[in-house]
Amino acid sequence: MIYFDNAATTKPLFSAVEKAEAFIKDQYFNPSAKYGKGIEVKKQIDLCKASVLKCFPPFYDLIFTSCGTESDNTAIFSFARRGNFITTQGEHSAVFECFQELKKRGADVRYAPLNIDGSVNVEELLKLVDEKTSFVSVVHVNNETGAINDINAIASQIKKKNPNAIFHSDGIQAFCKIPYILAESIDLYSVSAHKIGGLKGTGALIKKKKLNLTPYLFGGGQESGLRSGTENVFGIKTFAEACTAHFETIKLNFDKALNLKNLFLQNLDKDLIKIISSENSSPYILSVSAEGLRGEVIMHMLEEFDIIVGTGSACSSKNPHSRILKACGYGAKTLDGMLRISFNESNTVDEALFAVNKLNECVKRLKGIMRK
Amino acid sequence: MKRIIIIRVCEIFLKGKNRFYFLNLLEEHVKKALSGINFKLEKLQMRYLVEDFDESDFQTIIEKLKKVSGVHTISPAYSVDSDYEKIKECVIPLCEDFKGSFKVETNRADKSFAIPSVELSRMLGGDILSVYGKNIYVDVKKPQNTVKIDMRENGKSLIYTQTIKCVGGMPIGSSGHGFLMLSGGIDSPVAGYMMCKRGMKLSSVHFHSYPYTGEAAKEKVITLGKMIAEYSAGMKLYVVKFTKIQEAIHKKCAEDLMITMMRRFMMRITERLAAMHGGQAIITGESLGQVASQTVESITSSNSVVTMPVFRPLIAFDKLETIEIAERIGTYETSILPYEDCCTVFLPKYPAIKPKMDRILKEEARLDVDALIEEALSDVEVIYL
Repeated sequence: MIYFDNAATTKPLFSAVEKAEAFIKDQYFNPSAKYGKGIEVKKQIDLCKASVLKCFPPFYDLIFTSCGTESDNTAIFSFARRGNFITTQGEHSAVFECFQELKKRGADVRYAPLNIDGSVNVEELLKLVDEKTSFVSVVHVNNETGAINDINAIASQIKKKNPNAIFHSDGIQAFCKIPYILAESIDLYSVSAHKIGGLKGTGALIKKKKLNLTPYLFGGGQESGLRSGTENVFGIKTFAEACTAHFETIKLNFDKALNLKNLFLQNLDKDLIKIISSENSSPYILSVSAEGLRGEVIMHMLEEFDIIVGTGSACSSKNPHSRILKACGYGAKTLDGMLRISFNESNTVDEALFAVNKLNECVKRLKGIMRK
Repeated sequence: MKRIIIIRVCEIFLKGKNRFYFLNLLEEHVKKALSGINFKLEKLQMRYLVEDFDESDFQTIIEKLKKVSGVHTISPAYSVDSDYEKIKECVIPLCEDFKGSFKVETNRADKSFAIPSVELSRMLGGDILSVYGKNIYVDVKKPQNTVKIDMRENGKSLIYTQTIKCVGGMPIGSSGHGFLMLSGGIDSPVAGYMMCKRGMKLSSVHFHSYPYTGEAAKEKVITLGKMIAEYSAGMKLYVVKFTKIQEAIHKKCAEDLMITMMRRFMMRITERLAAMHGGQAIITGESLGQVASQTVESITSSNSVVTMPVFRPLIAFDKLETIEIAERIGTYETSILPYEDCCTVFLPKYPAIKPKMDRILKEEARLDVDALIEEALSDVEVIYL
């Protein structure tokens, strides 16, 4: 199988899983237990926390969560409390739907428009900020187009206009993929384990040390009372190991992905397939459109060759088009034919060449069939 | 005091000498539906009693019986000795949740019991009022709650307050074997359910157009199929690969006739499958005028390629009426999941609403109909639901 849907999830990193194995075999004790074995597990969690925090400047702390969505929800509902809240049209549903909910509850919610590549229109975003803005959330890497927002610069510009505004970024497609050091202007940052070789069911919310979160889950007071619930030790350990492995090789992997993306770009039949991702987008995500055709059909055709790609969105007549790509300004024909090819450092050049040729072939064949 | 369930039949009592054929079939299906559960089935005059089951199976039995065709109603009941005090002891707690009006209705088949039925009802009514009199009152004409006492000749009384409506109709297998064209939409599962109600055993046929429709669409049809299979005492689903036929029609025939042509192929293939596997009729979810392929002209065109009878139980139903049944039998939520069926692929902008026969035949002549059908029939997946 050739797997090019790594933005949806990645194959768990075997070495990381192996290192975590002890926590389901021998060290299965509750980290909150007061006996020695429990305390030992708690210590291990703290070490894992330290390993993940190594990817960030020293003024950050983190809480482990169950997923990226939980991290986003915790951040938003913790701080979006008074005044107005701003986000972009290019957010993942985990952020976008929170803002929709806030709007439903009567809050003043503002959405910044996108550029054609899916990045936020910074000028327009800044216009929305005023003295009453208390919370802003801007995605780091757009999960559908791969567009990178320079969140450090955006956050600092926002804080120039309103120093009290809290800035959050959904970093799920960026973390351990894009070499980027967060600046102090970023208050909160959501990450997820399964996009970097960790397991589903583990995420983290990175937060500035001095920032006081309001807990989202109450109970036994784990994670300093900020996220109750017995810790997913196996998931956390795998996550920490995957972080360490990826952070060490982040530049190398970045170049590998870039090479794969460029191979795709060079070999795509540009008469049949339109490229949506911009040149400076994340090398891990390539969004294209076989205009006038249905992306889902092409996805299934590729499946017959054991090639897995994403559709970006289900684009059937009964399903609405991708909200994000629509916000980029694309019309129905382009939206219908959307495909998202997303890479991982373990993909090979041969795989990329085989897949791109098959993609060209399938689109050509389908175009022949749908000639009318 | 023993917990039992009363099963009643409806139309079967209209039958004459062959009544036992129907009753035996029903008995067989009740036993099949309850397989895996320990129970005893007692046969009475046009009724059955489910007895001697474990209390923990009670709800499961009720749910299963609700889906057996031929079962008209069921009543969860208690069986007690026909003794006034024992009957009273059973009746009082049953009335605890009553609100508003009530009445007691006695049917005394056991004439050896000293108290006449009207008198017994009156006495029990008095007993109930003495306990719950603050909240309820007697109304013998239009009561909101009824306690029924059925005094049998064997010295036992059946006592119940609730009658649950079930599928009704006739037992599965008493009306032959039909082949349902199952698309994944709202209508076809309902059509299948309705034929089950008339005692028709079902098989179903689904046309799958991979890669134009995905695995999820097929899974949806399997889920729907499983729901209908419960009414049909099991069902086979034949999945026909339809892509090549669609591509051929799309390539060679007029665009506006796409659906018309497809329907003709589907009917032919379904008839062939039915003939091969003991089917006697084709069942579709068509409703007159609902879409372009369901006008009288379109139906004439698709009907003309088969000789088997085609049953269309929804032909005069409004969409809302169909939805009502779909909701009741639990298929609606699955039917509206947004996966496409093969009909929405290559959907023409302006489909022919009143296709003309001579034009259809002319267009169809461009295709090697027999070869395409043989090819489709050579690779049919069978799923047992």
